[in-house]
Amino acid sequence: MSQEDIDILKRALQREKAARKAAEKILEEKSRELYQTSLKLEQLLDEKSSQLQGVFENILDAYVVMDLKGNIIKFNEAATHFFGYNIEEESVNVIDLIYKEDMQYAMSSFMDLQGKGFFKNYEARVYTKSKAVKWVHINASIVFDKDKKPIAAQGIVRDITEDRRTRELIEEQKKQLDTIVDNAPFGIALTQLGQMIKTNAAFQNLLGFNAEELKQKTIKDVSFIEDFPESKALLTKMNSGTLDNFVIDKRYKKKDGSFIWAKTNVNAVRDSYNNIKYQVALIEDITSEREKTLIIDMINDVAKSILGKIDIYEIAQEITTNIAAFLGTEDCVIYLVNKDIGTIEKIAAYGEDINYKNASDNKFSLQLGKGIVGRVAKSKKAKIINDTSQEPDYVIDGQRRFSELTVPILNDGEVIGIIDSEHIDKNYFTKAHLKTIKNIASLVAMQLKSAINLRERQKVENRNKTLLKALEKSNDELQEYAHIVSHDLKSPLRSIYALVSWLKEDNIGNLDAASLQNIKHIETTLEKMEQLISDVLNYSSVSADNSQISNVDLNSVVKELIKILYIPEHIEIKVHNTLPIIKGDKTKLQQLFQNLISNAVKFIDKDKGYIDIDVVEQTEQYQFSIKDNGIGIDEKFYDKIFKIFNTLNKSEDSTGIGLSIVKKIVNLHNGNIWLESEIEKGTTFYFTLKKAPNETPK
Amino acid sequence: MSKILNVLLIEDDTIEVMKLNRTISKLNLNHNIIEANNGEDALEILEKKGVLPDIILLDLNMPKINGIEFLTILKNNDILKYIPTIILTTSNNQKDLLECYKIGIAGYVLKPLKYEDYVSKIEKLLAYWSINELIKI
Repeated sequence: MSQEDIDILKRALQREKAARKAAEKILEEKSRELYQTSLKLEQLLDEKSSQLQGVFENILDAYVVMDLKGNIIKFNEAATHFFGYNIEEESVNVIDLIYKEDMQYAMSSFMDLQGKGFFKNYEARVYTKSKAVKWVHINASIVFDKDKKPIAAQGIVRDITEDRRTRELIEEQKKQLDTIVDNAPFGIALTQLGQMIKTNAAFQNLLGFNAEELKQKTIKDVSFIEDFPESKALLTKMNSGTLDNFVIDKRYKKKDGSFIWAKTNVNAVRDSYNNIKYQVALIEDITSEREKTLIIDMINDVAKSILGKIDIYEIAQEITTNIAAFLGTEDCVIYLVNKDIGTIEKIAAYGEDINYKNASDNKFSLQLGKGIVGRVAKSKKAKIINDTSQEPDYVIDGQRRFSELTVPILNDGEVIGIIDSEHIDKNYFTKAHLKTIKNIASLVAMQLKSAINLRERQKVENRNKTLLKALEKSNDELQEYAHIVSHDLKSPLRSIYALVSWLKEDNIGNLDAASLQNIKHIETTLEKMEQLISDVLNYSSVSADNSQISNVDLNSVVKELIKILYIPEHIEIKVHNTLPIIKGDKTKLQQLFQNLISNAVKFIDKDKGYIDIDVVEQTEQYQFSIKDNGIGIDEKFYDKIFKIFNTLNKSEDSTGIGLSIVKKIVNLHNGNIWLESEIEKGTTFYFTLKKAPNETPK
Repeated sequence: MSKILNVLLIEDDTIEVMKLNRTISKLNLNHNIIEANNGEDALEILEKKGVLPDIILLDLNMPKINGIEFLTILKNNDILKYIPTIILTTSNNQKDLLECYKIGIAGYVLKPLKYEDYVSKIEKLLAYWSINELIKI
């Protein structure tokens, strides 16, 4: 080490010694000052001790006393613990404690303290000895001596770091919650006694009102009166405490007059007495979902309910019921368009307990083209009316309803009916409603059309039945009439016959041959006339009404006939086969053979006559033939001879009715009759009779 | 031998009445013919008791009370119901025939066209009833 170096070190040491002396001197001075101050304070504290002692000792919060320069004079135990300084050992100035960002606030508060003598509710951050930052709440005041001279400041410092953190957390959580609530895809409303206290954005959007408007409203204001009963029952349960939560599908009125369907989840928020403080309603718009489901359901229901139904009134009633339920209205009517008379007839109405099928007095009909329904029937275009009070031709049926939905039921481009629904509220019906009802209209059109056709057919059938009855009656009357007429006609004939006979008797011997011949002619004419009348009567009697059906053995019938009938000597009748047993009316079948045999006998002009009766069995019938060798019939008369009063020969004993009766009898037994003939050679009559024993002739 | 009958003929047709009368005289019969032009007249006659006929010949088609109506009244009367009533008519209507037998008749004779046939039928009819035992009231 050089001398130079040693000198430097010596000088440095001397400087240090001098500096330490100076510092020690300062410290001594300070200590003295502090001591004097302490003495002053002690004096002060003694003075205040009575009032401060209790507070100072007992408070749990930190208690700090400082002089007017900010030097900490006193920490209580809590303060020592809180700040971490031991002021017995180290001096602390308040500036050391103030968080630097809060300095401004601290200064202004300190000015308050000096000016007003106190400050309250100072909330700021402080440093502890370990440089930790704490939130504190301070109330401070100036301490005065007995001469009212300020000597120090005291303050109660409360550690609010935890509170503050919790508050911030709550704030944070509230913010988060509000964000969730506000951004929730479903509407949320907080209500108290029905009044809306808070609503979220989704709720406001759903209903179209802003938050302020909603605060003025109750839940009732935005609900439909029709939905009240259901909600009320649930709310009553909730109020009584038996229910904390329920879900209900209900409608809400929107600001624009339309409505939405919403699934509403209502939760009760209760106080400690279990009384409802708030209700939280979560609402989810299910309008379109509901519409879709409803549409499908309704279409299904309608299809199901009208399936297999053929009564037009029943079908219409089912449709109105389904539509009314779907549209949520109390009015739905179906009209039928009657184009022929230009009217529209009400055939079913939802809610009206009238069966329009039988209620002819209650018929409600409109003119085509008149009224809203009438107009739609004419235009074939569906229509929504949002305010019927603006429609001069609105027809009030029951009561005025402001919305009306009118849809034509079209079949092959023709309006066959109208579906008409009304609702009390204005602007009630939507395009979706219209579309759905149109679908329903086309769905039911076919069924309705066939039902209409059926109704028409039934009308015709009923008319036919009536006609048939009338016809039967007039037939009976005619039959009766025929008997009376024949009696009345025969009576004079009898009288003439008697009178002529008496003339003859009374003048026996006085009449010449010619006169006797003439009288004979009169008698013959009378006989023919009588026969004619009998035949007409017979002909009219051959009808189905008086048929008595049984098994008839034609073989014995014909054999019997041959015995009874007058057959001239020169005519021979042969039955070539055993005739079958036929189901039929014996008297009529007998008359059939009798007329044909008599006819054959009548027209045989040969010296030797033959009548051949034969039968051929066919699949379903027997074909009979009666052949003669008589005069024959010209082909052009084949049809004519079966017609009443058509006789070809002016024969004395032919009235021209016999073959008509024959044809009638054959027809009654479901058979046919025809003939083959050759002039001068003879005629064969063919006729068929049904074989099947279970097939009774009509 | 054969009795002399009191015959009540109920007939609206004059010539029919003449026919019966002439037939009786032609056949030299002594039966008494009481004539009534219709049902009402007949009832009037029958109500005068004491002159009750032995048999009644009744036409069906008559004005006012017709034959069947008359027959019904007759058969509902406790005294008159015993008088044998024979229908003499033109009507061979099955319905009339059934109805008359149902109410109660003693015969149903159709009036023939020919006068000779009529005489023959009436002769037999009267002959039959004159050999019958009849209730005398």
